[in-house]
Amino acid sequence: MVSYQNPVSHQLIDGGMLLKEWQTAFATTGRLLVSFRKWYYNAAGFNKIGLMRDDTIHEDSDVKEALRRLPEKVYNDRMFRLKRALDLSMKQAVLPKEQRTQYEEDVHYLEPYLKEVIRERKEVEEWSKK
Amino acid sequence: VDLQWSDTPSISILSLVTKLPSGLVIASLDNYSPASRIGVFVKAGCRYESPDNQGVTHLLRLAANLTTKGASAFRICRGVEAVGGSLGVTSSRENMIYSVDCLRDHIDTVMEYLINVTTAPEFRPWEVSDLTSRVKMDRALAAQSPQMGVIEGLHGAAYKNTLSNSLYCPDYMVGHVDADHMHNFIQNNFTSARMALVGLGVDHDVLKQVGEQFLNIRSGMGTAGTKAQYRGGEVRVQNGSSLVHSAVVSEGAAVGTDEVMAFSVLQHVLGVGPHIKRGSNSTSKLIQGVAKATADPFDASAFNVNYSDSGLFGVYTISQSAAAGDVIKAAIGQVKAVASGVSEADLTRAKTQLKAEYLMSLESSEGLLDAMGSQALTRGAYHSPEVIAQMIDSVSATDVANAANKFVSGKKSMASSGNLVKTPFVDEI
Repeated sequence: MVSYQNPVSHQLIDGGMLLKEWQTAFATTGRLLVSFRKWYYNAAGFNKIGLMRDDTIHEDSDVKEALRRLPEKVYNDRMFRLKRALDLSMKQAVLPKEQRTQYEEDVHYLEPYLKEVIRERKEVEEWSKK
Repeated sequence: VDLQWSDTPSISILSLVTKLPSGLVIASLDNYSPASRIGVFVKAGCRYESPDNQGVTHLLRLAANLTTKGASAFRICRGVEAVGGSLGVTSSRENMIYSVDCLRDHIDTVMEYLINVTTAPEFRPWEVSDLTSRVKMDRALAAQSPQMGVIEGLHGAAYKNTLSNSLYCPDYMVGHVDADHMHNFIQNNFTSARMALVGLGVDHDVLKQVGEQFLNIRSGMGTAGTKAQYRGGEVRVQNGSSLVHSAVVSEGAAVGTDEVMAFSVLQHVLGVGPHIKRGSNSTSKLIQGVAKATADPFDASAFNVNYSDSGLFGVYTISQSAAAGDVIKAAIGQVKAVASGVSEADLTRAKTQLKAEYLMSLESSEGLLDAMGSQALTRGAYHSPEVIAQMIDSVSATDVANAANKFVSGKKSMASSGNLVKTPFVDEI
């Protein structure tokens, strides 16, 4: 399994497998890239237990603050998916093919909030240097 | 352009007022001071709250430092601090006042933050919900002061709408005023025609440029305000306090009417509080009159407020709970005595005290900015202190007696708090 890479420290949380960033070195547009990404998404496998990419992100302090800022509905949906995934993990089961998250349905809901949190933290750090 | 001159021995100070086509009023007074003060005055006080967004002005008052489109909350705080300035917001029933002060050289920096705060706040939902604890703190602090309770209660009892709204968020809305309420309120009320940009120690042209470029975002009048309807009611808050705070008023004068000065002079004829610390209040008719009715400690002063379309005038008394009835009746008796005639000596004394109070309020830059801004907002011009002094001098004894009669014969409103066992009801006074 690949887990989301911490954008600040640029460290691999889980070693070994392909990185999404590595593949951006290749062509940035084109059907070939899209089909590759789809294959990669399915190979990563978290969609089999009904999760989205942002559900798998490692919770450091920035992510915790971004989660605090989520609108209620988005947060509740996230909690549901995590609960369902934990339940499936306990049963050592996966969702049937029709219920798995599809590449097209995956919404990066946390990304804008996370970007803003990181921007604010960087601003504080800049000012502290003065 | 309205020009007024006032000469001091060494420098001439010019106050300038311009009204832009969008309706924005720009007023400035360059007093060559090393520190400048700029304020944005908006006709967006709590009287403009509607039944479904009660408390939104309280939140806006607390939200002045939140993230805007041009600067984050952190940057506003640090940016203003870095130049040694300060940013503050005051709100009354009629107006909201956002003001910044700093050294002359740093005007540009703080002006940018001021414009951001007044025209482009973002009201991020998590920042707004973080304000709930501050709302609760504000309310708790207000509850500590019995005067606050009585005055808020008085307005709630005296008016049917607009002016009856409280300055503080009501209990049921704490935690329920959200970013949408605030955005809507700003959209409807922070419009150019209802704003004034006022500066002390700044160049008029600089202010004009800022006003034309940045404060034109929302034009027009916004939602029309409703006329305040006086109804004359009573509210009584029974609690364990041994001191009874009570305000008895009837409808007074609105700003800009001829009676305004008469009511202010009447207020000083009756007494507004000690002029000398721990003095004997010898010039206060109310204190002298009530002292004959009770030997216990008490305080009585005349209460006078003027709003754009209404006013309240009456007496505010603080007394021991057993003597409350005597104190209130004696205070009102004094007003009745003035209604039948006021001596020349008292009249002159009151006028001098009123003039002194007004002039002394202009001594500080906050007081001066406030006076300039309120006048710019209500009438689009600024009367110099000389003109105001003349208006005070032109009040006659008959005007004062008529004002007192208006109180005596008008429908009364009353608000009391404390142990009210001996406090009369409004129809028993």
